[in-house]
Amino acid sequence: MKLTSYARSFHEISVLKDQGFEEVILEPKSLSRFGKLSNSEVESFSKRARELNLRVLIEWDILMTEDVFAAKIPDVKANLSCADALRVQDPGALHWAIEHANLPVQFIAENGNHNLKALEGWIELSQGKLERIILSIELSRTAIEEYVTKLSVPCELLGFGRILLFYTPRPLLSALTPEKMAVNEELAALGESEESPHKGFPIVENQHGTFMFHIKEFCLVDYAAELSKLGLSFFRIDQRWENPNRLTEVVSLVRDFSQEGFESLKNVYSQDLMRGFYLVNKTDVLFPKLKNSRLQGRDANYIGEIIEAEKGSHLAIMIKNPKGLSSTDQLKILHPKGEIFEAKIYSLRNLALEEVTHIPQGQVALIQFVGGVWVKSQVFFNNV
Amino acid sequence: MKSLRNLPEILAPAGSLDKLKVAVSYGANAVYVGGQKFGLRTAAENFTLEELKEGMTFAHEHGAQVYVVLNSFLHDKDLAELPEFVKYLEEIGTDAVIVSDLGVVKSVREFSNIPIHISTQASTLNAESAKLWKKAGATRIVLGREVSVKEAGKIKREADIEIEMFIHGSMCMAYSGHCVISNFTQGRDSNRGGCAHSCRFEYSLEGLDTQEKKKAFFMSSKDLEGLRVLPAFIEEGIDSLKIEGRMKSHLYAGTMSKVYSEALNYYAEHGDFLSDKLIEWEAELSKVSHRTYTEASLVEKAGPESIFNERENSSDGEWQMIGTVVDASPKFGIVIEVRNAFNQGDELEILPFKGPIVKIKANEIMDITMKAIQRTRPTTLVRLPYVEGITKMNLVRGKL
Repeated sequence: MKLTSYARSFHEISVLKDQGFEEVILEPKSLSRFGKLSNSEVESFSKRARELNLRVLIEWDILMTEDVFAAKIPDVKANLSCADALRVQDPGALHWAIEHANLPVQFIAENGNHNLKALEGWIELSQGKLERIILSIELSRTAIEEYVTKLSVPCELLGFGRILLFYTPRPLLSALTPEKMAVNEELAALGESEESPHKGFPIVENQHGTFMFHIKEFCLVDYAAELSKLGLSFFRIDQRWENPNRLTEVVSLVRDFSQEGFESLKNVYSQDLMRGFYLVNKTDVLFPKLKNSRLQGRDANYIGEIIEAEKGSHLAIMIKNPKGLSSTDQLKILHPKGEIFEAKIYSLRNLALEEVTHIPQGQVALIQFVGGVWVKSQVFFNNV
Repeated sequence: MKSLRNLPEILAPAGSLDKLKVAVSYGANAVYVGGQKFGLRTAAENFTLEELKEGMTFAHEHGAQVYVVLNSFLHDKDLAELPEFVKYLEEIGTDAVIVSDLGVVKSVREFSNIPIHISTQASTLNAESAKLWKKAGATRIVLGREVSVKEAGKIKREADIEIEMFIHGSMCMAYSGHCVISNFTQGRDSNRGGCAHSCRFEYSLEGLDTQEKKKAFFMSSKDLEGLRVLPAFIEEGIDSLKIEGRMKSHLYAGTMSKVYSEALNYYAEHGDFLSDKLIEWEAELSKVSHRTYTEASLVEKAGPESIFNERENSSDGEWQMIGTVVDASPKFGIVIEVRNAFNQGDELEILPFKGPIVKIKANEIMDITMKAIQRTRPTTLVRLPYVEGITKMNLVRGKL
């Protein structure tokens, strides 16, 4: 398993080389979400990296509407000669790179893409130009193991770094302090939501929009050896917001993990760490509770819903079954709280209060009151 | 006079079978609905298999199309359950499915010939992206809400594919599909239907000012309203105009379908919009519960003014849904299923499927047994005297 990371200075490039990295990610300011480098800086950094035999990966990961996309193409072209591969996230950038860039492409599939079929699809669409796929950090160990085994291109995973929660092109911080953005390229704040106990979400606004991160950083250094065994090809370390010197400690733990060293790192690290969903992803486990239980069991026997219940007088049923309701039908009525009542029909009337033998679908049936039944109860056929 | 064939369709939300019938009856050319799985509105009532079939039949009989949302980002285990559902959707005549995930696109193509619309959740923002999805088998792109109408026109021409855009409703502040706040803070996958709407809460922001924390609803977006942009949508050849809101009320589904379809039909007849009609339609839109309206990025990039820096108001505003007409005839009057109570003498407005709003004064109210009453109660049936033109499923609102 190889390591990959970012560099924003000559010094950081040298550190990567010293730490045994074989590649470096450079972020042009105009193309990368958190980029700081001008095109000329990218050029000189790329030259330096190549002198050190490091592969240069240019990150073009912003999302772009049509006009923004068109405006960025000159910058992309200006950076192509500095790159050994392009890293893209917008599917439009992927398509452009496939069609127009004579370079290998790395696709950042970190949003969604939680099934093998989708990942295989991106590889197929890339017509042999995809040299790497960057997996979502929401994947569990089991999924990662399957994907790195079955996919035909090498996979990369964030191993240590910030968790991006939210990305919008809208200027959300400068809206609150317009005078500050006028003199700054970037605004930063820490957010605290009234809805949760979490405090200190890092928020950044720059020319590409506003970004919010998790209060904890993602960390799998204690699982690096396992990931290597599973067959992961690239382990990304993102220390762009941390003391750059911390990279050496992280690399050392990835290569030769010790619990003591890990505890020591955690003690001095600026943020708490989390492993996210690596062990298991249960983010759908609450969904049954969000479901409307009244719908359960609605099938061919479903007649309709009680829309009025007048104690001692009548029940009004909105008939939803194409068969309608006949005076000889027997009923099973499900109260919203789950209680079940069985009833025969002794009186069936229409809205003109006429006694009838049948009420068709889409009309209201009035039957005698059944004790305990209330509005929103669901009515089913109970015919033998 | 413009040809109707050149006009975009009005695509309305239908969170339940009743709402589907309401939207179609009020003029929507198409509706989008969700089954019990694979969509992003887990908490919506959604449709059972039988209801999907019935909804499809009802819509087709009324000349409308039905698109089924399969727009979750599915995990492998979810994807395994998809083929049977897709086959069923084809069997009942589904007009298209709305998909975000390439794995779902591939599954739908493998197990059916249902046309595929790429959901806004995929954040398709440019022509190159549209071309890629077209290669993957998409027949229509629902563009991200960050795209302007002019940009959408360019995308349509360059990628040569059907284009759908949102014209009305609530908006994600984030690029759709690129917000995972719920996933990591609440353990609910927002991209599989578990969004906890964290963006609508108030945040304290530290660091912007040196002195004190700033409190703001800084991630909450105003609601989209694109009525005045209709001519531009038509000019750019946009194929479908989508109204957000499967979780919203019958009154919302009906009013939106009525206003936007009437506006389009007016344009078809007259070739322009007259200001007095615009004011009338805008007044109608304002009578439905909403956040402050914005055109967001439809004309220019959404800026600071598009932020809804206020606490959500749970009330429905000045105008409220009184109820739905469950049946009407000269024989037994107008029977209303009451949602919000009204009293004798209150002014009510009934929305016919077509044409002007009918204003009535509730002078004579009877319960279902024909007994005169002065006050109504929610979840009861009441009768009002018959009014010509009022029919089953018409919506009733009041200023309570």
